[in-house]
Amino acid sequence: MTQRFRLLWLTLALLLVLLAIEFGASFLPLGRSARPLVLIPAVLMVGVVGTSFMEVGRGPEIIRLFAVAALLWLSFLLGLGSLDALTRIEYPVQAANPR
Amino acid sequence: MSEASQTHEFQYSNAHHQAETAISGMWLFLATEVLFFGALFLTWIYSRHWNQAGFDAGAQQTELAIGTINTVILVVSSFAYSAGVAFIETGNGRRLIQCCAAAWLLGVAFLILKFGIEWRDDFAKHLFPGTGFALHGPLSGGAQIFFVFYFLGTALHGLHMIGGLALVGWIILRASRGEFSPAFYTPVVVVGLYWSFVDMVWIVLYPMIYLVGRGP
Amino acid sequence: MSDTVIEAPEFAEGTASYLTDGTTLRSWLLTTDHKRIAILYFGTITIFFFGGGAAAALVRYNLIVPQGMIASAETYNRLFTLHGVVMVWFFLIPAVPATLGNFLVPLMLGARDLAFPKLNLLSWYLFVAAGLVVLYALLAGGVDTGWTFYTPLSSAYSKSHVVAAVTGVFIAGFSSIATGLNFIVTIHRLRAPGMTWYRMPVFLWSLYATSVLLVLATPVLAMTLLLLSFERIFHIGVFDPALGGDPLLFQHLFWFYSHPAVYIMILPGLGVISEIVPAFSSKRLFGYKFVVWCSIAIAVISFLVWGHHMFVAGTSLYSALVFSILSYVVAVPSAIKVFNWIGTMHKGFVRFDAPMLYAIGFIGLFTMGGLTGLFVAALAADVHLSQTYFVVAHFHYVMVGGMVSAYFAGLHFWWPKITGRMYPEMWGRAGAVIIFIGFNLTFFPQFFLGYLGMPRRYHAYPPEFQVLNVLSSAGATILAVGYLLPLAYLTWSLFYGERARANPWGATGLEWQTASPPLTENFVSTPTVTEPPYNYPPPEVVQRHV
Repeated sequence: MTQRFRLLWLTLALLLVLLAIEFGASFLPLGRSARPLVLIPAVLMVGVVGTSFMEVGRGPEIIRLFAVAALLWLSFLLGLGSLDALTRIEYPVQAANPR
Repeated sequence: MSEASQTHEFQYSNAHHQAETAISGMWLFLATEVLFFGALFLTWIYSRHWNQAGFDAGAQQTELAIGTINTVILVVSSFAYSAGVAFIETGNGRRLIQCCAAAWLLGVAFLILKFGIEWRDDFAKHLFPGTGFALHGPLSGGAQIFFVFYFLGTALHGLHMIGGLALVGWIILRASRGEFSPAFYTPVVVVGLYWSFVDMVWIVLYPMIYLVGRGP
Repeated sequence: MSDTVIEAPEFAEGTASYLTDGTTLRSWLLTTDHKRIAILYFGTITIFFFGGGAAAALVRYNLIVPQGMIASAETYNRLFTLHGVVMVWFFLIPAVPATLGNFLVPLMLGARDLAFPKLNLLSWYLFVAAGLVVLYALLAGGVDTGWTFYTPLSSAYSKSHVVAAVTGVFIAGFSSIATGLNFIVTIHRLRAPGMTWYRMPVFLWSLYATSVLLVLATPVLAMTLLLLSFERIFHIGVFDPALGGDPLLFQHLFWFYSHPAVYIMILPGLGVISEIVPAFSSKRLFGYKFVVWCSIAIAVISFLVWGHHMFVAGTSLYSALVFSILSYVVAVPSAIKVFNWIGTMHKGFVRFDAPMLYAIGFIGLFTMGGLTGLFVAALAADVHLSQTYFVVAHFHYVMVGGMVSAYFAGLHFWWPKITGRMYPEMWGRAGAVIIFIGFNLTFFPQFFLGYLGMPRRYHAYPPEFQVLNVLSSAGATILAVGYLLPLAYLTWSLFYGERARANPWGATGLEWQTASPPLTENFVSTPTVTEPPYNYPPPEVVQRHV
């Protein structure tokens, strides 16, 4: 059982290190379009919380199935959803006042 | 496996069967929550994509210090609760209560910082979108959209926190009655999943609110 | 395999059933029995079905003359919005899952109840609460945005009760999520001994696929409606183009839910038909695994096609191309199922009882609806057909011709099991035929109307469209008779119908192995499954037997 506690302490340390990296990275001179890269440590942190605190690897198989399904469908939503915005061509409009 | 004394509902074959099913059910519920917040994340992508300068100008008005402290608080809170789960697995009910109490208090601290101080300051600085919004000029529209995202996102996360605090309080209450043992602690695990998930949501919201828009 | 596989044990008359186990109102309103909750849902959605149907009748009545019979444009907008909101969220989505599904999932699995019975009851209360909120919106003056609530009409310009209606839909969504979550976990965790995945009836697979859609799509709608309400209440929001927001984002989020929702509505129907066709052909379902995996494929692919609702809305051409191609892909598994049902009937011993008549009607109408869907999935054709009656006809062929027929098919098929009474067979057949005729007369002319260019959602139209509109309205009256007929004779059968045997159709499936109506605990002892599904004896045996 002490192994479990050691793992939890390690997890906490890892999360705080990742948070520090993320915080530091936000001060890097990235261009506007590149700034969402700051989210990468956050995504890693989510993975760490899921595997360690929530023990996704433990218990019946369907837990993993549900977790993977959630991520897959999230990728559908964000991927196909942003496809339109990222490839849309904005044509100039004549109207001066939208409202 | 099931203890002779442990009851289970009539559709299950034993208590272990019921426990694993309850945990699975919570995971599936969290999957729905992922998509719930996923829609908010897509909103963030769209809103920032069309108005990068304005959106980022809005983000720069946020309180970086409070946001960062709150992130640390929630990570530690999630850690404390997980330690509680590990303690009850070894039968240490007293430690479980202490850990849950720590997690609970940290959660309350988060809410006080977020809504008692940060939101109050935001309103004082006229950052709620609409007429009288603090920023003017061409960046105003994007900044207002940022604050729609900010207020809705933090409010929804806050509601999840309040729900989580109620659940953690319920676990503390039951634990103080000595209801949990290494043979039965399913509710502790189920609530822990939810508590860590609320933490996860904040971990993602934190950079979206405070970091991405904050240029060097 | 002997002939006796299709025989079920008979139970003595007067055996205690779930219906007689507690007769007080309290025993119904606080029940956690999945069968009683199914009955509660039956009652509730029947009210909504006829309420939404009344609105549709008024819409058709109004369109008899070009200038409109009764309604001003404002009233007309409220009528079709009411019809859409009620029919989509308060009838079609819960129709099969919450009634037949709630009743049958544990029975078909050989389980005693769903995994989370209290959650199941909660879902019904949420549903009722949602219905009351929508009723309030209606009484307060109605909503005029159409069931799609498009921004900026809904957020900025509409003078109607959008927030109340949206709140109702929001609450109904959580009721859906609770049902879907319950089904998925139950199917994973509460299968009887020997009930392997490939021994499950297709109905269960269909409900599993439906539940995947319910739990993963509905939360997105919830967030969308929150964003919309925020924008309407505070007059500021992410969809507001004046601030640089994107109104199309609303449509993306809305259709991310609402396109899968189309499959939430139709997939359970496909499951019902997959039960009925083998039972009344006395033959194994042709290509069981194909049908099963087509259900799952539909569940996944249906999430990837939502953009086809937005071809003319100004989305990027590249995304429109991707969505158009994926929309063709999703038609494939649906078509495979149609071939499988026909393959099942081929050389079978087909009996034309009422459930089978409804099922055959379903196959024809669903095929029509599916094929016309391909027209509007094509980018070029959609430019002409979008927002016309062609689209209205297309989705009514799927939703009404398809789904409502399937609902009635299932209702007649399992009526003896649910109520313990037989419905009058001749009336049942008459109802099926009348609905089929009335439906086609109502909606077939609308394909022409749309092709000729009549736009949807207008209370008036140019005079040259009158003949087709009158035909359509005439069909609607026949359809109304067709729907009132089952209401009458099914109610009659509750009191005077012949008592049903445990297995009146000689069908396979665990639900037929217990009494009609079932015991509170479903089975005397937990059944053990040893056979594949639809294990009907060879047709020659059945023929000799009959």
